[in-house]
Amino acid sequence: MKIGLTVWNNHISPVFDAAQTLLVVDFEHSEIVDKKYVPLQPGIPHHQAGSVMAQNIQVLICGAISEVFARMVTASGIQLIPFITGGADDVLNAYIKGKLQTRAFWMPGYGSQRRRRFRGNFKQ
Amino acid sequence: MKIKNTTDIILESISEGVFTVDLNWRIISFNRAAEEITGIPRKEAMGKNCWEVFRTNMCESNCALRRTMAEKKPIINTATYFVNSEKQRVPVTVSTAVLRDKNGEIIGGVETFRDQRQEEELRKALHGRYQLGDMVSQSPIMQKIFDLLPQVSESDSAVLIQGETGTGKELLARAIHGLSLRREKPFTAINCGALPDTLLESELFGYKAGAFTNAMKNKPGIFASAHKGTILLDEIGDISDAFQVKLLRVLQDKTFLPLGATQFEKSDVRIISSTHQDLDDLVKQGKFRMDLYYRINIICLQLPPLRERKEDIPILVDRFIERINRLRKRTVQGISHEALAVLMTYDYPGNIRELENIIEHAFILCPDTYILPDHLPDHFRFQAPLPGKFASDTMAASKKSFETRAIMDALKKNNYNRQAAARDLGIHKSTLFRKIKALGIILPEIDGRAGRRRI
Repeated sequence: MKIGLTVWNNHISPVFDAAQTLLVVDFEHSEIVDKKYVPLQPGIPHHQAGSVMAQNIQVLICGAISEVFARMVTASGIQLIPFITGGADDVLNAYIKGKLQTRAFWMPGYGSQRRRRFRGNFKQ
Repeated sequence: MKIKNTTDIILESISEGVFTVDLNWRIISFNRAAEEITGIPRKEAMGKNCWEVFRTNMCESNCALRRTMAEKKPIINTATYFVNSEKQRVPVTVSTAVLRDKNGEIIGGVETFRDQRQEEELRKALHGRYQLGDMVSQSPIMQKIFDLLPQVSESDSAVLIQGETGTGKELLARAIHGLSLRREKPFTAINCGALPDTLLESELFGYKAGAFTNAMKNKPGIFASAHKGTILLDEIGDISDAFQVKLLRVLQDKTFLPLGATQFEKSDVRIISSTHQDLDDLVKQGKFRMDLYYRINIICLQLPPLRERKEDIPILVDRFIERINRLRKRTVQGISHEALAVLMTYDYPGNIRELENIIEHAFILCPDTYILPDHLPDHFRFQAPLPGKFASDTMAASKKSFETRAIMDALKKNNYNRQAAARDLGIHKSTLFRKIKALGIILPEIDGRAGRRRI
């Protein structure tokens, strides 16, 4: 399974719209098989979303994201997990172990939306 | 945060959001306005990294607070946006400063931000109201067209744009294309009046190799290259009878035959036609086919001449100055009230294009300050004197000036019908003729008796 995380200084990037780097992780049975950093093209929605789509990821984990960018990502069939914060490795490990839906990884103010969104576990 | 002292009371009462961070970028205070603007409760914000709470597009590459801390200099009113928890971009202006303790030691930074949503909405409302595509207008006639345009664009029907030369028919056609579902596909304009039939046919429909001498290889025409896009047939009133028949066939059957081809090709384009002529009149005179007229005239838009939307002259002038400054790397500040007043009195037979040429002319003579009456073309200097501050100070000159304006206004109102203008002015027709001659008023060739006024 291939997932993407927008990262900055080893943290999840605060705003997807302006994120400059995508960490692409390929893992099988909870083991990381491949990991690479891909430059993004922030600013223009279809460029930014296009760069993400080009990586053929199934899931995108990012920080805050505006509506236009979010729609473009989800319209391409990518599962979006937005408003996540924390160290990139911590977030990645939590996702692989199915533990990302804890309050510690939510951006402040996103609690209520997250509670509505994640009633079940992530499908991997 | 408990309210302890005067500073806290002030911070809680102001409408600007304020937060402070320690040297590790952790939020150590967050005022009431910051809670309201961000939608994040203070208790959730405290102790968090500032970029997790106030997540702007600058955090990652151009953080104002980081620059302030590095350079120890405040930054005032930088425009940016943050993304709130509802995925909305909230426009804000941000100011930053370093935070020092009693001994002058830097202990962190302070960031204040102002919510710009209301200003942004107003600006958009104003901008949107006066602008559509590359067209700007405050005139009620143009506003009606602007209001119609989204529906017209979405309809995908054929549109006929009528208007004098230089009124912006191509800009309107581009705006329709830009708002339509075909906007990602090509927009191609062709001046039908400029080309003889054979050339027009090869331009529009293309040709096959061997169709004529020197036709070495296939050339796709505009109907093929603008597939799924929009074609503007400019000056459609000028095409020959024979070509009208060919065009009608394309519009009816949605197929066309390239020169030298044996098989028809399918066409999926939206046709916008434009003309400076009155097609209705041409049909009545038998110079334009009625069936073609009805095909291209599903929706008709009439662009008013500039003399009927003079309220647009100031914004058009501003726009031309801005554009020419950019193109020629000039810094002309604007136009003086005097020069603008002169421009407002002119009738612009060449419409917006003529106004643009006048401003280009003024740029040549104008040093980088303001365009003055002296920078305008010669014919403006020989106009009848204007009422107000530009008229001569004598009573006789003022009277002459007011008479000129009154006669011109009455004539224009009556589409240059002298008899009707004289009736409006309460004078006899022969008195009007005498005054026109005495005041040296130059009238256009139309006399208003046969012409029809359009709305």
